[in-house]
Amino acid sequence: MSRHTRATLEPGMHKQLLDVQERLATGTLPQWVLTDPTVFNLEVERIFARTWYFIGHESELPNPGDYVTRWYINDPVVLTRTKSGELRAYLNSCMHRGTMLCTADSGNRKAFTCPYHGWTYSLDGDLIGVIADDKVYGAEMDREQWALRQLPRLESFHGMIFASLDPDVQPLDEYLGGLGWYLDILIGRTDKKMEVHGAPLRWVVDANWKIGSENFGGDAYHVAMTHRSTVELGLSPKDPLFTSYGHQVVLDQGHSMSVITKSPKLGPTPPYQGQPEELWSNFERNLTPDQLGVWRDAAVFHGTCFPNLSFLSPMHGAGGHAHLTNFLTLRQWRPIGPDKVEIWSWFLADREAPEEFKKESYKRYVATFGPAGTLEQDDVEIWTRITDASKGLMARDKDLSYGNVMNYVMGLDRVDPDPDWPGPGTAYPTTFMEAAQRSFYEVWNSLLMVD
Amino acid sequence: MTIEGTTELTGFELHWEISQFLFEEAALLDAPDFTGWLSVLTEDIRYRMPVRLTRERKDGHSVDPDAVYIDEDLASLSVRAARLGTRSAWAEDPPSRTRHFVTNVVVRAGDAPAEVAVRSNLLFTRSRGGSTANDVLTGLRSDVLRRADGAWKLARREVVLDQTVLGTLNLSTLY
Repeated sequence: MSRHTRATLEPGMHKQLLDVQERLATGTLPQWVLTDPTVFNLEVERIFARTWYFIGHESELPNPGDYVTRWYINDPVVLTRTKSGELRAYLNSCMHRGTMLCTADSGNRKAFTCPYHGWTYSLDGDLIGVIADDKVYGAEMDREQWALRQLPRLESFHGMIFASLDPDVQPLDEYLGGLGWYLDILIGRTDKKMEVHGAPLRWVVDANWKIGSENFGGDAYHVAMTHRSTVELGLSPKDPLFTSYGHQVVLDQGHSMSVITKSPKLGPTPPYQGQPEELWSNFERNLTPDQLGVWRDAAVFHGTCFPNLSFLSPMHGAGGHAHLTNFLTLRQWRPIGPDKVEIWSWFLADREAPEEFKKESYKRYVATFGPAGTLEQDDVEIWTRITDASKGLMARDKDLSYGNVMNYVMGLDRVDPDPDWPGPGTAYPTTFMEAAQRSFYEVWNSLLMVD
Repeated sequence: MTIEGTTELTGFELHWEISQFLFEEAALLDAPDFTGWLSVLTEDIRYRMPVRLTRERKDGHSVDPDAVYIDEDLASLSVRAARLGTRSAWAEDPPSRTRHFVTNVVVRAGDAPAEVAVRSNLLFTRSRGGSTANDVLTGLRSDVLRRADGAWKLARREVVLDQTVLGTLNLSTLY
């Protein structure tokens, strides 16, 4: 149970959320939920405060005293490494008057000293210095009572650091569940694991956070149209079904992963998305034959860890289909308001990959999916159009008098799961499918109704 | 007071010529005429936009040595320009109204006889749809211009923005 004070549901809201639940069973989602301010506050209190929230990667702070500052929605967080090498996450706020202790994005500190009155905390969060302490507070001051506030839970998976405000949240391993099997392939596949390259790229978009989560979570259908400019240029295949081949995998807790295989018209992809051959034996040591089999045929992985961390591992060329290079990006959709999201984007590479490959991989990442990316820029344009069109009386009518429901029907009761899929989850043998999005909203809906 | 760098400042005419180049180049970007813009670049153009960070003074430089928003050459810039010319580059169709205000131009001798090193400030505004608020980016540009066959061309550009979190939904044009 979360520690913070929670608002109870407004009269009528429970009934409205039950109605949303019924609609979802038929593959529709009322448009009003997208940018509703009440729903937004409930999302913060009932979803984000009670699930696991990504706050960084271990390679971002390799040395004792290294720190990065992050936002857990509206809570400023300082994530640091102690002298003994442990990771700690604190509310970035002095215990005396609440001043933010670190305002830089990253750096290295021996201790955290507040610039207001000089209270000083060790990397372990202990209050180790108070100016004129005995003279003003006396010997009876219990310094232990005034240690920095730690985020209640902090756990890592393959170097990805998650925090939770809920002390009783289930362990991270358990929370990730079957998603972990796919994250082994994306992030846990080499002996020395992966490292982040550069600081995360950050930009703010006037869109609701859920759009990013559901798009990366399962929307292979948008590619041919949203990114049609790349088809016009011959950078993407002309086959309108080119992102439909493969499997959409629906996992527990609202997570999902799509594994797109290359269009049969284009011939096979190189194994392991064209990763350098010198890494193959490394992959084979770290992954099971089933994991290797899924990866060998894959062209693109994309998925979402509920609620707001997404993964994308595609292959892109410098122009045309030759020399396609794989990269991995982690993307966080930090909600700032019902109609505003801050996007955080990290790039990861295997530590043991050749330097040339890392450089090329990073280049492909910024050229396609950074804020200047030739694919990324059309996505966010469309997401602002969704958000702008969802704020009015017709879209927000809760009685749905204007037929204001959105269509998530694709594949509902029409596509059977593939019984031979070797990985966890329910795998549908096509990626033109909206089971992942339905599952995302079903979990979202059920958590909003928990007091 | 001394001005950073001791390289002799160049003459009025050269300064005027280089400023005219930057203004004409900005006009191409604002028109927008991205194909025309490609014609003022050298074959070996390198165009970079590193990432700005907020850092404490003791931790040094506020420009990330590894992260970039843009890192391109003529081939990739040509793809970018061609993409903006397609019928489905939704980010710029309808197009934004952009304005590049280029000021504080300082021209110094370059590393090669035919080159000059140019520093300028950029104020970039972007008006989209019916919004009354412009998106604004500001930054420092460090360019190398090279003279060939009587004309100046852009051989290097590095734009370091002041914002650490971009206040615009995407970097869909050029800066």
